[in-house]
Amino acid sequence: MRTEEMALVDRCRGGDLAAFEELYRAHAGKLFSVACRMVGNPTDAEDLLQEIFLSAHRKLDGFRGESALGTWLYRLATNHCLDYLRSRAARTNQLTDELDDEPGRYEPGRAGLAEQAVTKMDLERALAQLPEGCRAAFLLHDVQGLEHREVAQALGIAEGTSKSQVHKARLRLRSLLSREKSG
Amino acid sequence: MHTAYRESIQELIDGTIGGIRRAELERHLAECAECRSFLADMETIRQTADSLDRLEPPDRVWLQIAGRLRQEGRVQPPQPRPARSPRYALLAIAAALVLAVGAAIVALVSQYRATPATPPTATATVAEPTGNPNADLAVESVETEFRLAEQHYQNAIAKLEQAARLDQAGRDANTLDAQTAAMLQKNLQVIDQAIAESREAVRSEPLSAAARDSLFDALRRKVALLQDTIALMNEMRKGNSAGAAQIVDGLNKS
Repeated sequence: MRTEEMALVDRCRGGDLAAFEELYRAHAGKLFSVACRMVGNPTDAEDLLQEIFLSAHRKLDGFRGESALGTWLYRLATNHCLDYLRSRAARTNQLTDELDDEPGRYEPGRAGLAEQAVTKMDLERALAQLPEGCRAAFLLHDVQGLEHREVAQALGIAEGTSKSQVHKARLRLRSLLSREKSG
Repeated sequence: MHTAYRESIQELIDGTIGGIRRAELERHLAECAECRSFLADMETIRQTADSLDRLEPPDRVWLQIAGRLRQEGRVQPPQPRPARSPRYALLAIAAALVLAVGAAIVALVSQYRATPATPPTATATVAEPTGNPNADLAVESVETEFRLAEQHYQNAIAKLEQAARLDQAGRDANTLDAQTAAMLQKNLQVIDQAIAESREAVRSEPLSAAARDSLFDALRRKVALLQDTIALMNEMRKGNSAGAAQIVDGLNKS
């Protein structure tokens, strides 16, 4: 698999557009899903996806195959998304928190989420309210299905930090979803 | 809430918990309703997250990326594939074209049977002679087939464009809202740019199957977009806002 990836990367480095389209088709859906959920709207995500792949094309010379190509692309994508969110926050004077320490409050005694029939739409709405650092970790681990080791590579953090961010994201989501359902 | 077990429950969800801690956790869960409820919530979140739809970018994103790479000179023009039989490949393309153009015309006729019988004007922008010094009779024959196939597409596009113009002229000018019209216009510009670039690639490398595939793909996209435009106008004329919204949604995703 890694050999095939490197062969494809070599063709892309040689300026083969068909090879780069093959790479794009294999990864665009996953990266677009992450970008949409990170920035909250498909129009901005489309622009980001363009920038991510143009940047990937420029940086392919530096890809050594130490991680999977998909993980490398996730790293580019999340960096672009986080940069975008930070510049948007700076423009609007919003506060951002990269690594969130407050897990969110949960009021005991409420019905469990399973009984409240949490839908995908509910989860999408709650996701948008997560701090960006733990949102990225949660998206890569629980939505995209990466291992903590791969999430750590993609986000440039320690594996233990990936675990704690995903766990905090779930706690926050539990709090947000139960509030939404009871409110 | 037994916070000491919260981390173990998360690791159980992740599938990373060790055997000893798992056994200890299971003993605790058997006795603690609050922790069982926490586990159920974590499982619900994990399963719902896992079921979220994969979102696909519209085709225009790739067209724009490819356009930028070409403009910046970061990709090479398509290379010819001399080992393959171009004639065989082109016959396959031509067969697909007959089906695709036929479908476009059937759709057009069924939608516009009541439209005044104005003969369609074919724009027929056929590829110019290539000037390839190695061209022999067989190659010329292939070139002829290719030009005919492209001309079929151009004819279909011309008919659809004419139908769209007639449709728009036949009712008030506000049939399409400004945002939808702008989106259609933008999509058309992107496709027209791809057609122009692909045609240029075919001119410089007339035997390249990749260049021809790219041109036919762009032409197919244009036919599809024009068909959608006409279908959208029809739904709006019928006052079917749900149908129109569905088509606009499809156009946004395409």
